[in-house]
Amino acid sequence: MKYGGLIVVALSLLTGIGVFALFSWSIGINPYYVIESILTTFIFPGIVKDFLILSLLGYALLIAFKGSLWNIGAEGQMHMAIIASVYVTLILFFTTEKSLPIHVSIGVVLLSIVLATIAGALWGGLAGAIKAYTGVDEVPVTLILNYIAYFIGNILVYGPFRGKYVWGYVRTDLLPAPYKLSISVKKTITGDPIVDTLNGYLVEAIIYSSWITALIIVAIFTYWLFNKSSLGLKIKILGSNPDYLVTLGVNVKKTTVTAFMLSGAIAGLTGALYYHGALWRLEYPLEYQTMGYGYLAILVTWLSMLDMKFIPISAYIVSALIMGSQRVSSLPVVREAFAVIGLGGAEIAFRLLMFGSVLLSYSILRFIQDYEIRVVKS
Amino acid sequence: MIPVDLLIDKILPAFITFYLVSLGHSIFEKSGILNLAIDGIFFAATGAAILGAYLLLPIIPYPPIAGSVLAVLVSILLGLFMSTVLTFLPISHGAVGLSLQFFSYGVGIILGYSVRMRYGTVYQIAYTREDVLELLVISIVIGLTLHVLIEKTKLGVAIRAVGENPHSASALGVKVMHIRIIAAIIGFALMGLGASLFILSWQRTWDFRQYSQGYGWLAFATALAAGRHPIMLIPVSLLFGGLASTQTDISASLKVPTDVAKLIPFLAALILMLVYSSTGLRKIFASPSSLGKPYYKEEKSI
Amino acid sequence: MTSPLLSITGINKSFPGGVIALDDVSMEFYPGEVTAILGENGAGKSTLVKILYGIYSPDKGDIFFQGKRIVIGSPIDAIKKGIVMVSQIPQLIDRLTVAENLSLSLTSVGLFESMKNVRRVFKEISDKIGIKINPDAKVWSLNYTQKQLVEIARAVLLDAKVLILDEALTYLPVEERRKFYVYLQRFKEEGRSIVLITHKIPEALEISDRIYILRRGKVVGSLVRENATLEQIRELMFGEAAKLITYERFSNPYEIQVGEPIIQVENLVVEGEYGEIAVNKVSFKARAGEIIGIAGIVGNGQRELLEALVGLRRIRSGRVIIDGVDVSNKGVGVIREKGVGFIPDQPLRYAVSAENTIVENIAALFSRQQVVINWSSMIEITNKLIKEYSIYPPNPNIHVKLLSGGNIMKVVVSRELEYATRALLAYNPTRGLDEATATFVRKKIKEKAVGDKVSIVFASEDLDEVLQLSDAVFVMNRGVLYGPFDPVSTPRSKIEELMVM
Repeated sequence: MKYGGLIVVALSLLTGIGVFALFSWSIGINPYYVIESILTTFIFPGIVKDFLILSLLGYALLIAFKGSLWNIGAEGQMHMAIIASVYVTLILFFTTEKSLPIHVSIGVVLLSIVLATIAGALWGGLAGAIKAYTGVDEVPVTLILNYIAYFIGNILVYGPFRGKYVWGYVRTDLLPAPYKLSISVKKTITGDPIVDTLNGYLVEAIIYSSWITALIIVAIFTYWLFNKSSLGLKIKILGSNPDYLVTLGVNVKKTTVTAFMLSGAIAGLTGALYYHGALWRLEYPLEYQTMGYGYLAILVTWLSMLDMKFIPISAYIVSALIMGSQRVSSLPVVREAFAVIGLGGAEIAFRLLMFGSVLLSYSILRFIQDYEIRVVKS
Repeated sequence: MIPVDLLIDKILPAFITFYLVSLGHSIFEKSGILNLAIDGIFFAATGAAILGAYLLLPIIPYPPIAGSVLAVLVSILLGLFMSTVLTFLPISHGAVGLSLQFFSYGVGIILGYSVRMRYGTVYQIAYTREDVLELLVISIVIGLTLHVLIEKTKLGVAIRAVGENPHSASALGVKVMHIRIIAAIIGFALMGLGASLFILSWQRTWDFRQYSQGYGWLAFATALAAGRHPIMLIPVSLLFGGLASTQTDISASLKVPTDVAKLIPFLAALILMLVYSSTGLRKIFASPSSLGKPYYKEEKSI
Repeated sequence: MTSPLLSITGINKSFPGGVIALDDVSMEFYPGEVTAILGENGAGKSTLVKILYGIYSPDKGDIFFQGKRIVIGSPIDAIKKGIVMVSQIPQLIDRLTVAENLSLSLTSVGLFESMKNVRRVFKEISDKIGIKINPDAKVWSLNYTQKQLVEIARAVLLDAKVLILDEALTYLPVEERRKFYVYLQRFKEEGRSIVLITHKIPEALEISDRIYILRRGKVVGSLVRENATLEQIRELMFGEAAKLITYERFSNPYEIQVGEPIIQVENLVVEGEYGEIAVNKVSFKARAGEIIGIAGIVGNGQRELLEALVGLRRIRSGRVIIDGVDVSNKGVGVIREKGVGFIPDQPLRYAVSAENTIVENIAALFSRQQVVINWSSMIEITNKLIKEYSIYPPNPNIHVKLLSGGNIMKVVVSRELEYATRALLAYNPTRGLDEATATFVRKKIKEKAVGDKVSIVFASEDLDEVLQLSDAVFVMNRGVLYGPFDPVSTPRSKIEELMVM
């Protein structure tokens, strides 16, 4: 079944949207609004930001997942990286200047990105080392490490990282302007929806041009890793049959740690880019501040069927769904309906249900595809 | 010396919560299904608990028991889904577990949120101090009973057999699906009960953001650290529950942010897991051989 | 004439993808008789057994038990009817005790009952049939024969009317097999029926009253033992492939030189899975061009010995020297680097990655030390091996999971033989292959030893294979290595005796 995989993905997404629409309908919202709102989000410039971050994280997780190393810890790896970046930009080289000589700016930002990447790699490598040397399952370990990263971040934001210009809030100072990676562009609105949409995409692309560059580099690296290098082949075999790797005389422990470090490094890089490009500060408590990109990336990577070509596509779909579900929640009819049943303010439940049902359908439908493969074998 | 108030209002309820949840989780995992939905189902059960305390009042006149009953039912329902799907189809336990986790977070919010908005705190529907002592005795009795059940009876043997090797177990004459369903009912009933106590006797407040606090994962870690052994779970649950429930007191007395105290149980869980798995204790507390392995019943399932 | 106890008519079973495993199979099993079902690997024997035991359900056809049509939906249905199976790999659960294992089959034991009654009943049965096994022993502590005895006791305990032996005794030496024949004889006398599944013709001739021969899913012969000859059965079993198959000994064209050995093993002690001594002070030498064959019943330390030699398992004491260098506990990487090929037991499980292509599987071994893989040279090696071993389909970029079992095995054997410049270690190198392919693989192994002066150490549960290939035969029993014996001059009975003593 050549297009089996695509059908599975399509059906999973439809199920997710279906559950979403069904739930909306059950609380008296016309499902038409919901579906329209989600579908129009697919041509909405606002999703570029999420798309780029999720694509990067998708590649990060792909490297681990190819080795059947279920790194659920991109969230923690990102946060440890952001902590490193905050240290460089707000502690070591904090400045109140509006502008600095260009070489200073570049130097500090580069240092921040490099240290963040290393921090992510180490946090990922820690999980890999635990998996490799003690055999403890990586899923609970990476999850626990996520919480540990949140709490370390919280302690730092509460203490040494707390800003001087925060008026009593528990948060860090704002990233100084010379270290910001996003390019500010003034948007012009023409009134023509097609021109405005295209223009919108262009503006977003300029704002996040550094992220786009990083994404291209990461995608090329991933391609090289899995098609040219021996390490990539080892990771793939680790995912399919680690026992074979052992009989080959390959150091499985080292391979496990390396795969985890690479995965963590890309997550770390993404963390730094996110901080320099959009986040600009940490705020207490961390676990509520970010969007849970690390978890959403699991969805992205799974939906790509671990095929690197499909990472950006599935990242785009997931970004559209997430943004779409937010847009639905902000529709006046929906807010009213939510308020009536007493769920006003808890629209996140919608997203979690959709997220869960897409993943669940996918996990179950994947079986049909795997089954097709066994057919040829027997 | 630990003050009595702290003991009865916090440490004991936390202990009972962790003990019941990790006990149920352990029994369920002994049947060979990796339970990565634990945190989600834990949260869904907390939402069900406060909903049940109001919704089931006409049938069960004592609010906390009404809450626990609904929590148990919701938990069993989600658990049965996971257990049957994973026994019927050869699919990834991890993927289904995590998906169900997110789904259950959503379910939990929908169940609990409107009650929370209408009634505010949970104090008026919580278990009393006397109840807590009774619950303590009941949990320990349940734990000891289950220990005997698992080690001595044919049902226990069948659960272990299915977790060790479902194919051999089936060839020996065990109905894998039946046994896993029984293990799921026992396990998720306990997880639901434990989760209801989290709200109705320990926290006594419910907020939808609790879904990201990871108490279910801490119970998961508790079970791992105690090698899924009903007796070993007692001291480990006491330790983790004690730490988790006294974090504000620890932070006040040591003058550190509460996050330090929040950090300790997770760190301790991680370290204990490492200690167990890297020493000789691994053999005693080894996981079931087929834990998390998709069960291919050959082509029969099609 | 009595009516059959169990019969099947017109059984069809095909697997998705159009593979027909059983094609219109009809058989009758009479009380008080042993019926053998003969066929080589892949003939459909195991599919048939799984249908009789309720693991598969047939696409078409009926099963009759005592004249009544029945449906066997699961093993417990079969057990309730009195159909009990003992298979080659004991279906007992290692971490449970004997009594606990048995309780799972006994419908008379309630879910909340303890093991007390099971223990008592097992003791009674054991006394009756004369076996001495502690019901509270964990199954992992039993040896292979003991496990099979427990399975037989289980059949008695369940009052089996039909006992299916699925290659259960095939790899036991004749002597040990005869011990089981005593129980089987008693079974027969009580009017029960025995179904013996095997791919070894002599085994079928030894005990059966009636023989069915399966080839490619069809019954191609139904014989009464008195009229059956080995040649006739062989012809039926293998068809046109029969001429490719040989059990003739491969002799070495010249004497092994008395030079420095490639592999030297001195007083090797290795622990097993549960910390027991699995390999006990083993010493031997293997010279260039020499094939060392280790015979023995499964679970006597052969696996542990070979794993220790290739570096997969820790050596507690003693030494392994390859090419004059002590490689004890140096790890697989170091040992493989010396030009050592390795074919583990169950190669499809341990020696190949099904999700990867043929060339990737080959590159994984040959390019593991490089950072960047030279794909063109890997394709070259792969194409060479595909041609030499006629691997089908001949496409280096096809995923291994799409190959048949025999072709996957060829990928493994060809890769390891190509890699082995100094030595090859192998365990059951032809298990699961059809006989023609098995003969081909054994020939290739011999050619490698003779042609490239490679030293080969292999263990096999199939004594015929050991005798066919080896220049020196050893026997492994409870971790102790006996030998060397000359494969030509040593009587087979002496070797078999050592295997079971």
